[in-house]
Amino acid sequence: MSDQDLVVETVRDILTGHEPLLLTADRPWDEGLWADLAEAGLTGVGLPEEAGGSGGELADAVAVVRTLAAGAGAVPVAEQLLVAAPALLAADLDLPSPEEPLTVAVDGAVTAEPSDDGDGPGRFTLTGTAVDVPWAGVAQHVAVLASPPAGIEGAVLAVVDTAGLAASRAVNLAGEPRGSLVLDGVGVPGALLSPAQAQLVRARLALARAVQVSAALEQVLAWTVQYAGERQQFGRPLGRFQAIQMELAEMAGEVTSTAALVDAAVQALDRGEDTVVLAAAAAKVRAGSAVEVVAKRAHQVHGAIGFTQEYRLHHLTRRCWSWRDEGGNELVWSRALGAGLVAGGGDDLWPALTRVV
Amino acid sequence: MSSNQLTLAPAPPSEAAEQVRLEVRQFLAEELAAGTFTTHVDTWLSGVDPDFSRKLGARGWLGMTWPREYGGHERTAMERYAVTEELLAAGAPVAAHWIADRQSGPNLLRYGTEAQRKEILPRIAAGECYFVIGMSEPDSGSDLASIRTRAARNADGDFVVNGAKVWTSNAHHSHYGIVLVRTGPPGEGPRGKHQGLTQLLVDLSLPGITVNPIRILDGGHHFNEVVFDDVVVPGDMLLGTEGAGWHQVTAELAFERSGPERFLSTWPLLAEFGRRAAATGDPAQLATLGRLSARALALRQLSLRIAAALDRGELPDIPAALVKDVGTTFEQDVVDEVRRVVDVPASLDSPDPLGRALAEAQLHAPGYTLRGGTNEILRGIVARGLGLR
Repeated sequence: MSDQDLVVETVRDILTGHEPLLLTADRPWDEGLWADLAEAGLTGVGLPEEAGGSGGELADAVAVVRTLAAGAGAVPVAEQLLVAAPALLAADLDLPSPEEPLTVAVDGAVTAEPSDDGDGPGRFTLTGTAVDVPWAGVAQHVAVLASPPAGIEGAVLAVVDTAGLAASRAVNLAGEPRGSLVLDGVGVPGALLSPAQAQLVRARLALARAVQVSAALEQVLAWTVQYAGERQQFGRPLGRFQAIQMELAEMAGEVTSTAALVDAAVQALDRGEDTVVLAAAAAKVRAGSAVEVVAKRAHQVHGAIGFTQEYRLHHLTRRCWSWRDEGGNELVWSRALGAGLVAGGGDDLWPALTRVV
Repeated sequence: MSSNQLTLAPAPPSEAAEQVRLEVRQFLAEELAAGTFTTHVDTWLSGVDPDFSRKLGARGWLGMTWPREYGGHERTAMERYAVTEELLAAGAPVAAHWIADRQSGPNLLRYGTEAQRKEILPRIAAGECYFVIGMSEPDSGSDLASIRTRAARNADGDFVVNGAKVWTSNAHHSHYGIVLVRTGPPGEGPRGKHQGLTQLLVDLSLPGITVNPIRILDGGHHFNEVVFDDVVVPGDMLLGTEGAGWHQVTAELAFERSGPERFLSTWPLLAEFGRRAAATGDPAQLATLGRLSARALALRQLSLRIAAALDRGELPDIPAALVKDVGTTFEQDVVDEVRRVVDVPASLDSPDPLGRALAEAQLHAPGYTLRGGTNEILRGIVARGLGLR
């Protein structure tokens, strides 16, 4: 059994005690699931022990995120393990305790000015509104990607403690909090990032969402195959009908394609390759377009029961419909990928493509 | 998903493959500069150039994975993958040797007699001996086991073949065919028709063989009808086991379906479109380029996994069916997606290279999702991999 198998088994064991929640204003996340994961050290997987993490590889963190995504776990683990914490570490910023949920904010109009608030160097004052913040109102800390002071390129990455900050209530299609945070001149630790480093933070978020989509779509396919094997009409299982087989095979093509590219992009990230932004872009685009086919076909095969809140399918299809938008949708990243592939001239598309992953 | 039959392990990185990739890329740049070929769409069907095939043979890029004693080079499937990918991406004229190198040679290696291997494989690896696929017939397409071409042993133990094969690519340029014939009666039950089938190694210059051209949509002559009229095939040209043809043909199809030509047939169009998008900087064109490239990148990963599985000695027929379904759909979609964001009429006579590439890709497009097994057949195989059949 590999390390990842062990991690997956542990997360699955925990998930068996936490059925997917119907998220509401009163219950915007699964606090109990988070507590169990944190207690088991799973909210620090892939983060170095000397920084307060649980150790392990990126692949272990991805395994945790995949398993939670497939289980529709309403916790900020993808944001913490794959985006915010690695970005803070890369910028030499201190990590909050992995037991306290940490999220990331890359959108909105937040500016950072260097501040001399007496707490030493590396301090910034953040002003503005961060929008579409995953788990706003839930996460205790936010890694904010802010506009740099005038005259400087790149961005400022800063760590904000959300205690005392008001979060507006907004949710994505699955009810996951995606509100705004108003930053009114808060003094926080931060670091200057180059444009490339800032883009890597965005790419991490895109790849994290692609990982979640990939895992969720695999589960949707498995559920749909299972349902087609059990549901009987005209005296035989749905899966015996060629029309249904064609739909399921098409879903399998999308799911398998997405998983292969997402895996490759994760490896590119792990190896620190300079093409990782393009790899993440491609993974996000591929995953997003897979959602179109897989969610549509899954609902078609499930029939009316899949269109209800009583049945489990919506926990994943609604998430996928939102995750494909978040962290940059297919339009944003396909433009970035297209432009990146011909950046060295239009004659070299093929060599450029073979370098991405 | 890891427990189902569709998912393969990621391919380990191969430095040797990246090395030979660069060598092939350099060779192709030199050949293009010298004008020995021009880039076209779908050249693994339409680009017959024996001189070019011999050059590849001389460089050791044919029969790459085969044992040295048969003219091969004992390299990995990953290295062969890199070579074929580069040739396809450049739209190089590889049709003459393509079938022989891809599936007939491996089929001979697996099932051929020592004499057959010694006689033929070194010539394939040299780029001098070309093969056709003898499967489909006028009344047997997707239902391959319903073929009616028959072979009966005569008093000398030779096979007397009667019947006809169709869609036989480049039979007018080829030396041999591996021909699926009925040599015995079908058995009982739904799979009974798989019994009594046999593969024969047929010299296409034998008396009684007639090759009639069939032109495809752009007027090109690649397809043929090959008619067998009391053709006497020597008994020692039996390939493998008499009556085991169905099993052998299934293995051959795994090779036929597993390569990068199942998503790169229209790459030259995409490459031309990339030039256009770079020149205009048009956001809609760049987005289309990115979307199509993301699909190509995913297909590469899947195809690389298949190459790695071949190196492990597996015959990944179900994943290959999946990749061919997704890949050939992509080949067709390239035409549709590109033409939505450029105002360039498709024409073989276009002064614009993009217009010519669109025309070639469009006129060849119906074939992508038919040849080597229709996508409906492939999805049936995928459904079996999902446990539905």
